[in-house]
Formats: sequence, C-alpha cells, structure tokens
Amino acid sequence: MLVLTRKIGEGIVIGDDISITIVEMKGGTVRIGIDAPRNKKIYRQEVFDRIAKENRDAATWDMVDLDNLSDNITASKVK
Amino acid sequence: MKKIVSRFGEIEYDPENLLIFPEGLIGFPSLTNFIVMPNKKEGPLFWIQSVDDPAFAFVLTDPTNFFLDYCVVPDGDERQTLQMGEEDPCYVLSVVTVPPDQNISLNLVAPILYSPKTNRAAQVILENSPYSTKTPLPQPNTIVK
Repeated sequence: MLVLTRKIGEGIVIGDDISITIVEMKGGTVRIGIDAPRNKKIYRQEVFDRIAKENRDAATWDMVDLDNLSDNITASKVK
Repeated sequence: MKKIVSRFGEIEYDPENLLIFPEGLIGFPSLTNFIVMPNKKEGPLFWIQSVDDPAFAFVLTDPTNFFLDYCVVPDGDERQTLQMGEEDPCYVLSVVTVPPDQNISLNLVAPILYSPKTNRAAQVILENSPYSTKTPLPQPNTIVK
C-alpha cells in the first residue's frame, strides 16, 4: 500500500479525475473531501464490506429451505 | 440454448433472456449474467442463478410485498447503467438471506433496481438508510394487503 503524509488543506490526485483533500483533523478523526466524477462509486469501507458480506451470506442457501419458506409465506398471506 | 451445471443441477437457458448486471453485485463485480429461475411454488420468493460462476445463486423478492412504503428510484447514473429512460418502468428487488433456521431477512440497504424494458439490473447502496442489511420479515399479522 502506498502511504503518504499530508497536512490540512493538502491533497492527493488519483488518475485524471479524482482528487482527495484533507479538510479537517480533530480528536482522532479526519475529514476528507473527494472530487470525483459522479459515476464513480464511493462508499465508506465498512458499509461496502457489510454489503459484500451480506451478498456472500445470501449466496449460500438450500433449495429445501426455499421450498418450505415459499409454502409458509404463501400461507401467511392467505390468512 | 446453452447449459450450465449449478449446485442445483443442470440448467438450460437462452442467452438472449439473461438478466444483466453491468456492474455485477456489490463485492462481486464479475457476476454480470444471471438466469431468472421460474417459480416452482407460489409465493413472493424467486431466485437468480449466476452464469459466470455457477456456485452463486441469490434468492430475491419484491420488498414492497412486505414493506409497503419502501421505495427506491434510480438516479441519472443508475438509469444510464440500466440503459433506461426517465419515464421507463423500474422495479425494486431485495436480496433475501435464507439461513438454515429459515428466519429469512431482506437486505433493504442494498436493493436491486431492475429495468424490465432492458433486462438490466444494478445493486445500489442506500446511504443513511433506516433499514438493515438483515431486515427480518414483519410478523404475518402486521402485513397489510
């Protein structure tokens, strides 16, 4: 991993169209400004990781469970 | 017709009818082509089978069956990904997690937008969503139809 030291107000440029600026540092947290094209997807790491993990969990299921569930859910809606 | 061998057995499909996720699913950018499997049983659950990696299949549902006020509208970039116009219909789907105890949950933080006109779909992340990635189904008696 590339590690750079930056001061407040300084930045980093990634490729032609992304720039990152250190906006503020306070009490162990850093506020970062990002300029990027709108179609570049930017997520907080933990949010992205949680969705990716949920997708991975959702990919492992059993056909028997799905069949049973389909019966139960249909039944509960008919009531 | 083409064939793949999934973990549920051999599946025949028409490449013309694939559901395309141009950007894959979140965390799985290479899963772009899916077969929509017909419902064997009545009910709101159905599943999609990855063609790119037959190990992957996902159970989906229309979350508005359970959460009547759940609404996600594609923005301009998302419409572009789906190759749809502003007036074209767009449906929202949720990935369903089916654990062995069958207490299923819906991922309402990362819904799938689906454009029936172009047969394209995209999974999006809702920032600041009040919902959870593991939202349980409401109790049956609270479902208002």
